[in-house]
Amino acid sequence: MTSTAADVRSRGKELRKQSKSTTQSVIVGTVTLVVFLALWEILPTLGVLNRVLIPTVSDTIWGLGQLIIGGYWWEDLASTLSSVLIAWTIGVAFGITMGVVLGTSPFVRTAITPYAIALQALPKIVLAPVLIGALGFGPESKIAIAVAICFFPVWINTMVGLSLPSAAEFTFMRSLNATRVQLFRKLQMPSAVPIVLVGMKHAMLLSFTGVLVAEILSSASNGLGKLVKEFSIQLNMPLTLAVITVVLTIAVSLVSIMDVLERKAVFWSESERGKKS
Amino acid sequence: MPKNNDSKVLVRLEGVSKKYQSGSNEIVALSGLDLEAREGEFLSLLGPSGCGKSTALNIMGGLLKASEGIITIAGEEMTKPRRDIGMMFQQAVMFPWRTTIENVLLPIEVFGLNKKDYVAKAEELLEMVGMTEFAKSYPWQLSGGMQQRAALCRVLIHHPKLLLLDEPFGALDEFTRETMNQELLRLQSHSGSTAVLVTHNISEAVFMSDRIAVMSARPGRLIGVIDVPFERPRKPELYGRPEFTKLVVQAREMLGLA
Repeated sequence: MTSTAADVRSRGKELRKQSKSTTQSVIVGTVTLVVFLALWEILPTLGVLNRVLIPTVSDTIWGLGQLIIGGYWWEDLASTLSSVLIAWTIGVAFGITMGVVLGTSPFVRTAITPYAIALQALPKIVLAPVLIGALGFGPESKIAIAVAICFFPVWINTMVGLSLPSAAEFTFMRSLNATRVQLFRKLQMPSAVPIVLVGMKHAMLLSFTGVLVAEILSSASNGLGKLVKEFSIQLNMPLTLAVITVVLTIAVSLVSIMDVLERKAVFWSESERGKKS
Repeated sequence: MPKNNDSKVLVRLEGVSKKYQSGSNEIVALSGLDLEAREGEFLSLLGPSGCGKSTALNIMGGLLKASEGIITIAGEEMTKPRRDIGMMFQQAVMFPWRTTIENVLLPIEVFGLNKKDYVAKAEELLEMVGMTEFAKSYPWQLSGGMQQRAALCRVLIHHPKLLLLDEPFGALDEFTRETMNQELLRLQSHSGSTAVLVTHNISEAVFMSDRIAVMSARPGRLIGVIDVPFERPRKPELYGRPEFTKLVVQAREMLGLA
């Protein structure tokens, strides 16, 4: 393997080794959570923090209960989730396409790279007003903003992934007189899978961020972002935090699903092997 | 396969040179190499690093273009990598997402042949190198020596006329390396392929070869060819025989090491 490939693969290994859940780290983690929740409960109750602005844990749980019983927000949840998934799908498809085109064609790469770097540097959220202006307050603008934010890591990781195979691996394929298509399908693409999946995972969270920002910025008619904005304008903090809890749960679930997919697809990469052994 | 002077020439290099431009300097990697490999023979290219032996091998394999000279394989001029050639390198280059047998069958896929027709052949080869139980293992579950065994099966899967071996066991420890050399000789004589081995190990070259092309560095050129008359199959006892030592000494003298 190349040193780069090994680096990419072993970085994951180290991270996972560190987070390997020994009994001790489980205990430490639990204690941290208990202390955090206790402070969260006690400080607003004692008046150290303003309970109206920072409600306690129990207030938040009550809010969550209200939210679930109320049930008026399913449409918001569905709208946000569907926008996230649609934007992610578009962003991933676009990112992989761009990555493959640039990763396999030196000419296109030379032509585009400087602009790509400029685009990467741009905090893409600044495009939100433009996109909302152009596409209106509906789901189109939400999706467009999320796509603009989320496609980049997929693009870059695909490009990098295709160049991961070592010189020896390329030479071996050349000694078989492999065509460029075969080189791509049998060597470059499988080599790129692990790092592309990492990009796709980042893209998922970025897509979520993009949709929420769009919902908060625009006067969207629905969505979890709109819900947060409305509750906080009403100073209804328990419900605001309840929605944030929902957002957190969704984000963790999305990442977990991506983690499972990643583990299944790249069982052979060094990071995964490190975890098993 | 016993050496036979009547056998046909498979590879012929005539006046082959390779020059690189490095800034305003011209570096001559290989200068006027005339060499041939006969069908079924085991030929070694022996010399210090920088003598152009790997360059010569890569030119034979079509991975490099010669600056001058003519290379013919089976009477045809060489232009690009051919499918009747199998190359092996110091690194096994096993793809980690493929099992051993899938790696062995990779050339068949690349050549667009029907994989099903070659599964039995792959299993047979793996059995010959004692890897049957690892056919479904992944390369990262295998030791370096076992990976090279699999690479040996892979290079033989499509029955190449010519094997080009660039220090294939150079990264292995001395013990594994000797075993692997034995395996290589066994499989090469079994398949009847012609083999060209690049090595800087003198006794390895004497042990393995029918003929040794001794080369020197800067510029890389051929010093001379040593005929190795020992019977096949070669046995490890050969290392102790005085005739063996004599040839090693002869090679050392040619290389200016004696």
